Amino acid sequence: MASSTSELGWWVFMRISGLLLVPLAFGHLWANNMAFNAGEIDFAYVAGRLAQPGVKIFDSFLLLFAMLHGVNGLRYSIEDYVKRPGRRFAWKMVLFTVAGIVFVLGVMTLWAFSFEEMGDAVRTLGAE
Amino acid sequence: MYRGREGQWAFVFHRMSGVALALFLLLHVIDISLVMLGPDGPFDAFLVFYHNWPFRVGLIAVIAGVVYHGLNGLRIILMDFTSWGVRYQKQMWYGVLGLTTLIGIPVLWKIVPEILGVA
Repeated sequence: MASSTSELGWWVFMRISGLLLVPLAFGHLWANNMAFNAGEIDFAYVAGRLAQPGVKIFDSFLLLFAMLHGVNGLRYSIEDYVKRPGRRFAWKMVLFTVAGIVFVLGVMTLWAFSFEEMGDAVRTLGAE
Repeated sequence: MYRGREGQWAFVFHRMSGVALALFLLLHVIDISLVMLGPDGPFDAFLVFYHNWPFRVGLIAVIAGVVYHGLNGLRIILMDFTSWGVRYQKQMWYGVLGLTTLIGIPVLWKIVPEILGVA
């Protein structure tokens, strides 16, 4: 168990990030499921969205807060349900390793391409 | 384990939806990251696979989970930071369930015809 000071910090963080995630997650779902037919999402659609600076920034905040909020929530579950200290530690290490890799992958996806490259990809696809 | 009253069910649903959404988030970031491999990469083929109806029904479950978890999270915040939140937690939980159902109606109205191919 982490120190009680950091646990208090995470307790506060879950409420603040949770509050921020309501508009972030609801907005993300609205854009991709209600304003668009999710069954028609393809490369051109995603590249087109990620070519917009506003979407990059919006989704970056969503990624950051959702990852921290979600991974800390999974950590709570491990603390609650994995009783043996050795296994508990092992599960947490697996979780943090996977989450770290996925977070880097997410940042790369949102920021790896320049807006121009993304735009070019969409135009190329549209010209075919 | 005490016998389930509203507060306990609110917690159980919050925990289950939270774990499911966190695991979905990890998978979602990985699958969208395939877009980095470019227009000739595996992204489109993978998305076609995801457009099969079991995954689209799963996506409705994700939306339901996000709406419930988000609204019940607001209930938790009100319980923790207001003087009256705990007193009205039961009523607020029924409000969360009602609002989740209410939001679900236009969502199903929009997405179910898409899945059935009659949109």
